Amino acid sequence: MQRRDFLKISAGLAGITPLLQACRQERVIPGSIIGASAKTGHLLRDHAFSEPESWEPHQVVIVGGGISGLAAARQLGKAGINDVVLLDLEAKTGGNAACGGNNISGYPWGAHYIPIPNNNLTEYLAFLQEAGVITGYDAAGLPVYNEYHLCSDPEERLYINGQWQDGLVPRFGLSDPERLQLKNFFRYMDAFRQQKGADGKDAFAIPVDASSKDAALTALDQVTMKAWMDDRELTCSYIRWYVDYCTRDDFGTAYDKISAWAGIHYFASRKGRGSNASYHDVLTWEQGNGFLAGQLLQQCRAGVRTGALAVGVRPAEKEIRIAYYDVQQKKLKGLAAQQCILAVPQFVAARLLKDESRLQQVHQYLHYTPWLVANLTVKQLEERSGAPESWDNVIYGSNSLGYVDATHQQLQQRKDKRNLTYYLPLTQSDPDSARKAAYATDHATWTKAILADLKRIHPDIATKTERVDIMLWGHAMAQPLPGIAHGDIRASLGRSLAPGIHFAHTDLAGISIFEEAFYQGLHAAAKVKALL
Amino acid sequence: MDKQPVPKKELTAQWILLVAVFIIATCGLIYELVAGTLASYLLGDSVTQFSIIIGVYLFAMGIGSYLSRFFNTDLLGWFIKIELLVGMVGGFSAAILFLVFPLAISFQPILYALVGVTGILVGIEIPLLLRILKDKVAFKDLVSKVFTFDYIGALLASLIFPLLLVPYMGLIRTSLFFGILNICVGLYLTRYFYGEIRNVRQIRFSGILLLLAQVLAFILSEKIMSYSETLAFNDKVVYSTSTPYQRIVITKSKRDLRLYLNNNLQFSSVDEYRYHEALVHPAMTAAGNPRHVLVLGGGDGLAVREILKYPSVESVQLVDLDPAMTRLFSSQQILQQINKYSLKNSKVTVSNADAFTWLKKHRQQRFDCVIVDFPDPSGFAIGKLYTTAFYRLLQTVLQPGAAVVIQCTSPYVAPRSFWSINTTLMACGFHTVPYHNYVPSFGEWGYIMALDQDHYQVPDTFAITARYISKPVMEQMLQFPEDMKAHTPLEVNKLNNQALVHYFEEEWGKYLEQ
Ligand SMILES: Cc1cc2nc3c(=O)[nH]c(=O)nc-3n(C[C@H](O)[C@H](O)[C@H](O)COP(=O)(O)OP(=O)(O)OC[C@H]3O[C@@H](n4cnc5c(N)ncnc54)[C@H](O)[C@@H]3O)c2cc1C
Repeated sequence: MQRRDFLKISAGLAGITPLLQACRQERVIPGSIIGASAKTGHLLRDHAFSEPESWEPHQVVIVGGGISGLAAARQLGKAGINDVVLLDLEAKTGGNAACGGNNISGYPWGAHYIPIPNNNLTEYLAFLQEAGVITGYDAAGLPVYNEYHLCSDPEERLYINGQWQDGLVPRFGLSDPERLQLKNFFRYMDAFRQQKGADGKDAFAIPVDASSKDAALTALDQVTMKAWMDDRELTCSYIRWYVDYCTRDDFGTAYDKISAWAGIHYFASRKGRGSNASYHDVLTWEQGNGFLAGQLLQQCRAGVRTGALAVGVRPAEKEIRIAYYDVQQKKLKGLAAQQCILAVPQFVAARLLKDESRLQQVHQYLHYTPWLVANLTVKQLEERSGAPESWDNVIYGSNSLGYVDATHQQLQQRKDKRNLTYYLPLTQSDPDSARKAAYATDHATWTKAILADLKRIHPDIATKTERVDIMLWGHAMAQPLPGIAHGDIRASLGRSLAPGIHFAHTDLAGISIFEEAFYQGLHAAAKVKALL
Repeated sequence: MDKQPVPKKELTAQWILLVAVFIIATCGLIYELVAGTLASYLLGDSVTQFSIIIGVYLFAMGIGSYLSRFFNTDLLGWFIKIELLVGMVGGFSAAILFLVFPLAISFQPILYALVGVTGILVGIEIPLLLRILKDKVAFKDLVSKVFTFDYIGALLASLIFPLLLVPYMGLIRTSLFFGILNICVGLYLTRYFYGEIRNVRQIRFSGILLLLAQVLAFILSEKIMSYSETLAFNDKVVYSTSTPYQRIVITKSKRDLRLYLNNNLQFSSVDEYRYHEALVHPAMTAAGNPRHVLVLGGGDGLAVREILKYPSVESVQLVDLDPAMTRLFSSQQILQQINKYSLKNSKVTVSNADAFTWLKKHRQQRFDCVIVDFPDPSGFAIGKLYTTAFYRLLQTVLQPGAAVVIQCTSPYVAPRSFWSINTTLMACGFHTVPYHNYVPSFGEWGYIMALDQDHYQVPDTFAITARYISKPVMEQMLQFPEDMKAHTPLEVNKLNNQALVHYFEEEWGKYLEQ
């Protein structure tokens, strides 16, 4: 008997043939890669557009319908400026806070939560109240948060050392010295949270620009987070993983690249207090920050044009001319505005202005992390032991950030199916090659990689997944590398251009979070109002 | 490799026997894993169970090896007979254990005996085979080969067991499946070595009988499972079904009829009136002359039966998640005799919906009295129905002066759980009236009435016919002895802390461990 025959027979006898067959057939899981409209966007880079036939006059044009642009539009409406047109290249506004949905639930395509806001952010709190997120104020003057919007318990869990533990800070299976390092780390962060600079300002504030300029603190912006930790002997693998997870999660930047100032900002800038919540609590919705984007849109009175790719912005006599490409009609159109807000990433802004030296500057300083976000529709999954299904489910040691359960905020007892939003910042290689590789990878290959990652925590995920839709963000967010937060580049790129071109985007804020986008919009709106 | 030329027929024989080793090893380990898993299921404490079973199994294999020296003739015949025996004992082991568990006073001895016998039989096989092969062909690496296959089999078993077998086949079927495999191998060997074995026909015949028995058992495994359930419930299971929401089991004895949901007793027909009278009448009386009543949960229709005793009632809206429950209690004769056909009453509307979602959708409706009869807050999903968010939503459907009552688990077993519900209701602005009574089949049980005004007074009469409740009984129910008080400040239960579920797990967990 040949060895091969033997194997065949023995496998047959052991009865594993049918079992092998059962797992051999790799099911093709349906779904698609849906954007963000990279093709349309790249027209701006690769295509030479002619001139539109005419220039439609408006008071203000906002290019970009992300949070910055929407917040600006809402603010202009509040200031009584109503002749406003907002352009966005996508079919829906929202930008990085876009959302989707199916008959099970809504789900985020990007941003999915906000922490409890700092109490000094008056305008932001007012917006949240208008959106029903804050239902009122208690006798002590603290905001009361909508119970349905506070993240339900259980909030977070971490799969570590073969078990789910409650919360994301590693605990399970750590030695005492390792625990001590984590404790020390949080002691530093608590101190930073309380600290004020010599100028009396908070050491770490939101927006970033409200933070102290005390040189002792801004010096932190010259080293990486890793270097800062190494100096304090915060070096065990658990603390490194945890901080790296956090900086990748919030800023798409590994801890050995990110500025220590930005990294610490994540831990030390949140000081919010509510009547029924505090700074470590979060607010979230099925559709993630898509809920807030929707509220901003509802509250703004601008004429919103989607599927509208701005292709050129230039000052002409007494007006700003904005050319855009109507994706549906495949037609170039023109707008003439008294004032214009560019609420788009800086590399886009530089292209719109056709300003080469500006583009050079952007390339030199701003590095954009590509991200993958996938929404998986799953049936009931097998669970590993330990803490129960939570909103945020993270795998220790994984390149991904795990998944957020989009149905978590739903109230009903039974959920046959759920939507899981999987996050993967592509930080393994430099942004350019990661971006190219990401675009070159097809749906099936991505799906396989995602399922392989999740299989550790849900062994049956491959058979229980009905659909995987994937969003590739080519330029998700600018990395807060050393020198960005406290260097000159943000001020230089953010300065308005005469006679009426203003900038608003989280690129210019130093870090990419909702509040920064909101205030970017507000500040730009204020500049517009002053000049009208 | 061996240089000596080996006749082809012999070579094949040798391979076939090696495959047999491989299968025996796989099956042996599978039986051991089945026993370990089953013991952890039924007895708990998986570390202890597994380590004892592994110990017993390995030790038994040692005994087997020793015993193998007493087999001196017809080795091949014995090998096959033992193969069949392993198939029989191992194959039926899970089914036997499931059936025996509820009956036997001492489950462990039977468990270890089965593991021991399997171990001994497997232990005999390997040395026996070494000797057979030695007689047939001599080659250097005989021992190494046999053990290689033995260990590969073990590896295979330990991999497929948790990944494929338990999830897809369950324990009873897994062990039967491998029993069948063992027997098939035995039968195949009888064919292949036909001329070399004594009494081959007899062996074959018993092999085929065994095979048929196991195949039959495999097909009937569902039935075995539910029969073992009958035994576990002590009484006769008259009805059992798994709905997408829960497992419903109804048992009947001479004395009573019982309903279990997910193995938790919901009522016993003997004393359920104590529970339902205490649940319903205080709130119905406090509400004055309630006309519109809402019942959340309570798909058995027993609370509705009590509600319908009031002539003032014009409508009862029942909202229960599980259509199978309400269907059962509005169609089965024996069950309807208990709820007095309440679910069929023309005043009663039954909706099968999630209470939270239903309330959100029916905010425009108003009720004079609401009876909340949910299962205990034993998990995060059900815990949401005990939160401030839920109670505030409930407030939106209340008529001024309305009364709400909530079943609140046992204040004796879980005082902190009980009082945290009270704290939660007060945080929503309700005035609360906590009370409790004794229901023999449950133990001490607790309820909280929630009112919009602080005016509760025990009524002079309960104007309905009742077996349990009365003014003095109600007065007594309001008294809480020290051992049913919380003694610590308690958290308000909210969606974003689920404090109650944490209290409940801790308190009932401790209680059930005792
Ligand atoms: C995967 C991911 C997860 C995140 N999670 C969170 C989170 O949980 N919480 C949080 O606070 N923040 C999160 N963020 C950060 C998020 O980026 C910010 O909160 C905020 O949404 C950024 O808004 P923005 O308006 O500054 O930028 P963008 O969202 O980038 O908005 C720019 C807009 O301009 C449009 N646009 C671009 N070019 C053109 C053109 N040529 N013509 C017309 N329109 C154009 C785009 O379509 C887009 O709508 C996340 C980001 C990503 C990528």
